[in-house]
Amino acid sequence: MPHVAGAHRGLDIWLIQRASALVLAIGLPAFLLYAASQPVLDYAAWRSLFVPLPAKVGGLLCILAVLVHAWIGLREIFIDYVHHLGLRVLLYFAFGVLYLGCLIWAVDILWGVQ
Amino acid sequence: MSTLRFSIYRYDPESNAAPRMQSYELDAGFKGQMVLDALLALKEQDDSLGFRRSCREGVCGSDGVNVNGTNVLACITPLAGLKQPIVIRPLPRLPVVRDLIVDMAEFMRHYRAVKPYLINLEPEPENERLQSPEERAELDGLYECILCGCCTTACPSFWWNPDKFLGPAALLQAYRFVADSRDQATAERLDFLEDPYRLFRCHGIMNCVEVCPKGLNPTAAAGKIKALLVKRAL
Repeated sequence: MPHVAGAHRGLDIWLIQRASALVLAIGLPAFLLYAASQPVLDYAAWRSLFVPLPAKVGGLLCILAVLVHAWIGLREIFIDYVHHLGLRVLLYFAFGVLYLGCLIWAVDILWGVQ
Repeated sequence: MSTLRFSIYRYDPESNAAPRMQSYELDAGFKGQMVLDALLALKEQDDSLGFRRSCREGVCGSDGVNVNGTNVLACITPLAGLKQPIVIRPLPRLPVVRDLIVDMAEFMRHYRAVKPYLINLEPEPENERLQSPEERAELDGLYECILCGCCTTACPSFWWNPDKFLGPAALLQAYRFVADSRDQATAERLDFLEDPYRLFRCHGIMNCVEVCPKGLNPTAAAGKIKALLVKRAL
């Protein structure tokens, strides 16, 4: 029986999904602690949370992790349910562009806080 | 005296009728017995009822069926405790040959594809290829699989891609030979497995672990294959 090698894909994406989950598992509780450490959490205090550069960088890392994690999750769903190749590639592309747009928007929001 | 009520999937490909559920009843005296005993008694009532069985003690793996929504071996599943009517269907997703008999060809194709045999090109030793007790212990929880198909047909990833995803049973066997210290084809085996479909459709849903009548853990085996791929790649 011919032993046809696999596509040598999947491992990288699987690893990135785990890595992004790790970033979120550390980043979200860290952010909650950071927010909870404020004496009052009104709008001005919430805004000031994002003024320091480390908060901007950490926030952006978490948003990037969410978007990457979500895109990989959608990819798995599309592989399972969308068997038409052209449609599937179109969906990968559409959500890739959408999420990239969200990322750029997040940069604008985070760095807009002075 | 009360009775045991059953609702059993019936399909005869030679008639043009669509599959249907048929009701049966048995004496409550059967309650202490297994699902397979009930099926055999029902076949006495209605000899057109089709199902597979052989060893009737959980060793051969031929009587995998879906009872009240869970894949089981009929011969080792007690009737007591099952909610009535006891709904018996063929294993999910595989083509039905007749009634409770499914076509295992796809399942076996995936099993064959992982080359479930030792590959060792060195000259055969005088007696046997030796393993240390620790090396032998690596195979525990892997070699016991009886290929009943309960796990693979309980796996949603298999339901969506039955032609491309190997499924839990074949992945367990793939790891059984990857883990064997006497096997020399580990690299080729990993090359074969590193694929978005063959291996990476496994998302750790663990239906396979829940239903395996032998108490094996295909999800862990798939995880160990992934770990070996990571080790090889990084």
